[in-house]
Amino acid sequence: MKRRTLLLLGAGTGTLVALAGGTLALLSPGLEQGRLSIRGREMFSAVARGVLADLLPAEPAARSRAVQAHLQRLDDTIAGLPPALQAEIDELVTLLASMPGRLVLAGLRTDWPQAGEAELQAMLQGLRVSSLALRQQVYHALRNLTNAAYFADASTWQAIGYPGPNPV
Amino acid sequence: MSSLPDPIQAGIERGWKVLGGRHGALPESVVCDVAVVGTGAGAGITAELLTAAGLSVVLIEEGPLRSSRDFNQIEAEAYPALYQDSANRQTADKAISILQGRCVGGSTTVNWTSSFRTPSDTLKYWRDHFDLPGLTDDAMSPWFLQVEQRLNIGPWLVPPNANNERLRLGAARLGISAAAILRNVKACWNLGSCGMGCPTNAKQSMLVTTIPAALDRGATLLVQTRAERLEIERGAVRAVLCVPVAVNGSVAGTRATRVQARHVVVAGGAINSPALLLRSKVPDPHGLLGRRTFLHPVVASTAIFEEPIEGWHGAPQTIYSDHFLGVDPIDGAIGYKLEAPPLHPVLASITLPGFGAGMARAMKDFPRTQALLALLRDGFHEQSPGGHVGLRSDGSPLLDYPLTDFVFEGARRALLSMAEIQFAAGALSVTPMHEMAASFSNWAAARQAIGVLPMKPYLTRVVSAHVMGGCGMAGRAELGVIRPDGRHWQLENLSVHDGSLFPTSIGANPQLSIYGLVNMLASGLAKSLSGRSVALA
Repeated sequence: MKRRTLLLLGAGTGTLVALAGGTLALLSPGLEQGRLSIRGREMFSAVARGVLADLLPAEPAARSRAVQAHLQRLDDTIAGLPPALQAEIDELVTLLASMPGRLVLAGLRTDWPQAGEAELQAMLQGLRVSSLALRQQVYHALRNLTNAAYFADASTWQAIGYPGPNPV
Repeated sequence: MSSLPDPIQAGIERGWKVLGGRHGALPESVVCDVAVVGTGAGAGITAELLTAAGLSVVLIEEGPLRSSRDFNQIEAEAYPALYQDSANRQTADKAISILQGRCVGGSTTVNWTSSFRTPSDTLKYWRDHFDLPGLTDDAMSPWFLQVEQRLNIGPWLVPPNANNERLRLGAARLGISAAAILRNVKACWNLGSCGMGCPTNAKQSMLVTTIPAALDRGATLLVQTRAERLEIERGAVRAVLCVPVAVNGSVAGTRATRVQARHVVVAGGAINSPALLLRSKVPDPHGLLGRRTFLHPVVASTAIFEEPIEGWHGAPQTIYSDHFLGVDPIDGAIGYKLEAPPLHPVLASITLPGFGAGMARAMKDFPRTQALLALLRDGFHEQSPGGHVGLRSDGSPLLDYPLTDFVFEGARRALLSMAEIQFAAGALSVTPMHEMAASFSNWAAARQAIGVLPMKPYLTRVVSAHVMGGCGMAGRAELGVIRPDGRHWQLENLSVHDGSLFPTSIGANPQLSIYGLVNMLASGLAKSLSGRSVALA
């Protein structure tokens, strides 16, 4: 990945860029050929557990299938975005999936796959009410992408009482 | 997939000249009388009038051509195909999300059909502050009337859906005036899916009215074609230089297309139109290009009712209140218009605050959820100067719109007004769209809490569906980018015909304001280029 800054993510990023930006090129990419990398998938699986919680099926096998389908829809959602926004998501996922990005930007001590639901939700709440614009932007980006992909699919509508399109 | 007749498909089969995307490779060059960039509200009206005058027209659209057979009322398919940035265009700091169309028909293909003439006090402000003495109610009335007839704009006689009915009821109980919204529909099925493209062709968007009229008269439509820049030589625009793009906006191939024209009309919508002029380095001696871009920043409030609301069902916006636009003078504390938006899972889940158990509870109450929104009337006060359009390193546009304390003060009043109306209508609970707001079970608790909420970016949910300004019209070159006849102050054969003309926001959903103003401008342009007087069908 060529050197980029996080300016696209907004103002107030000086500390973060100093901390992580210089080494961004050394980190594993968040997207590979426009699709989430393995680390990216681990990260968004964890975010889904935090954001969607009880909306995901309770039974483990069904839950796992729902998360896999959700990750596929996330890929589709990202692929539908213009190149400038895909590049921003690539940066975001690259950073968050790395240890320094996870610790400093997200404030999550446990690695994504091992993090429990309560820990993930504490992280989300920290981002949500952070005094740093960048961390608030991360909250909204993670949550918006997750909800856009999750509720895109008809299989998720029954749980929220939405009947789907009208017959025409 | 809709099984109804598809007039666009029928037109293509009749021999309409459509190229780009799945319709065939773009030509290397095209020569015409007028190149029109965009196919939305301003472009559609312009294309119908110019072709009626016998002029050859090429329409250049960045988005794809989709029509009723594609409109299957599924958000995940509609947003990437029909909207800028998959219905998630954002301001530079990402504090505001913007709904804006990007397909043939532009935002008129996906809007919610709300039709209002430009308010009198807005026109007066333009006359007083932008030297536009010709823009009076009387002068504009015939232009609006023609458009209203052409697009079947009129009263909607079906009772409002439950979502809108709660606005009417709550306002009535508080003695706040509310009224019915005129709609541009013909034989509407009352489905509520307007935002995903009308599957029955009832909505009289540009897609099914003016664009087909222009294509029937021989206009050429280039789709999935981005106008990269204007070729300017010796003080005149010679051509529009274009590249083919995929549906997601990425450049698809290296072959460029040059559209050579006597006159160029830019109507790509506010944000994109000023960006095209910026990329083209058009003269901007007064530093006004891209400045004063307005959004009607929107804040929202949801309520849970005992009975089903089913906000996805029925005509999306049919009741409004302008009460809070009239409390203060137009150039005083910011006023707001109230409406009741449609609710579908993707947009609703993104707009509702929270995550985890809280969000799960809110989504499980989705069928009983009612929503109100407030459009803040920006641009009439020195502390509401709007935003400005710049360019990213890849040339794509980026709107910087700082939310000021002045706007947030109005946003707080709007959250209070909406909560009071929702409780008056019988809400069990009300939740302002704010990251630190709880769900309130009575008006007293809501009033106290909303009164002290921190009104800041990211914490307060702010969205927009109306982008205006950036190529403002004015009677003097030092006040605006565009002359009162729609032509650029420094480039005689360049016109701008879209919402970017507006010197302020409108204070109402802008589609009819664009139609009416552009009807006047395009009629004049047709006359000056062809010598013929024409009118909309």
